Amino acid sequence: MPRPFRELRERLLRAGVAPRHVRRYLAELADHLADLVAEEQQAGRTRAEAESAALARLGEMDDLARAMTGQRQFQAWCVRAPWVAFGLVPLLALAAAWFVAFFILWSGWQMFLPGADTPFGAGPNYGFANLYFQAGKAIYFYAPLIVGWGIALIAARQRLKIIWPTLGLALIAWIGGTGQVLAGRTTVPGGLGHISMEFTLGPSVHGISGGLIHVLVILSVTGLPYLIWRLQKSLSPST
Amino acid sequence: MASRVSNPSFMNGVPELLILRLLEHEEMYGYEIVQAIQDRTGSVISVGEGVVYPVLHGLEQDGALTSRRKSIGGRSRIYYSITSAGSRRLADLAQSWTGLAGAIQQVLAGGPNAQAIP
Repeated sequence: MPRPFRELRERLLRAGVAPRHVRRYLAELADHLADLVAEEQQAGRTRAEAESAALARLGEMDDLARAMTGQRQFQAWCVRAPWVAFGLVPLLALAAAWFVAFFILWSGWQMFLPGADTPFGAGPNYGFANLYFQAGKAIYFYAPLIVGWGIALIAARQRLKIIWPTLGLALIAWIGGTGQVLAGRTTVPGGLGHISMEFTLGPSVHGISGGLIHVLVILSVTGLPYLIWRLQKSLSPST
Repeated sequence: MASRVSNPSFMNGVPELLILRLLEHEEMYGYEIVQAIQDRTGSVISVGEGVVYPVLHGLEQDGALTSRRKSIGGRSRIYYSITSAGSRRLADLAQSWTGLAGAIQQVLAGGPNAQAIP
């Protein structure tokens, strides 16, 4: 990609233009530039002269940027409504993933441990049943990380300021670190009670420090790669 | 009282009008559109050629144009063509510009509206 286009890309992304619009704009500009260079060369210019003339004909950087940034319809939704992109959507994504995990836990309990008072601890450790429970467990534990990485990826692609992604990551880390599932059976003399499952936020069975460590682990694992990327980007001479 | 339409910028709508008119009968890609504008306006309208793309993308988002990728001579290009909504928009733009041009011509020719200019 020619240097002026790299600068234009950074400028458009920082101004909030959605990456897909930036990508298409730059692709078409590159094609147009190639046509202009060919035309200038046919007119008898050398390659260097043709490239210089073609870039001048394509337009000033300010004009090319303003033509895109002046239209609100090209703005990314995470710029228009950051509270949705970094608050509501991650929460909904986490809720959806945990709903799947709870369903696996509940259905596994019904299918593989019909008489057990709890699905935790005394679960089967062999075959398909074990695989079934482990899948639910993996979804439950990795969902906050995947959602956090999603937040970081969107923020990095859009070159966003750090405040919104940080808030989003902190929210997900807090919920991911303090969320817990309580599962048991109601007591019925001489028979099996109903299955009861609850989700709560608060100190875990390992105490406040255990929950805090979990929060910090999620925040570090999701936030550190993003912070390192930002640092590299700010030190890079090309941007 | 009759309503009046304001014209905050005389160039507002000009690129859209020219592009829609050019695409009325054939599909074109960006470079072709720019060359056609220059040819047909005798290079009177001259802007950075790259700024045509945001106008094209905006018209496409509004539903006035559609685009498709086509490979010709080993190069892949995005061709634009007008939609029925684009044709209606062209008719509206052409009507308002014809009226505006007529009014300006009347002023320049020293008609009754000429007195409005100090």
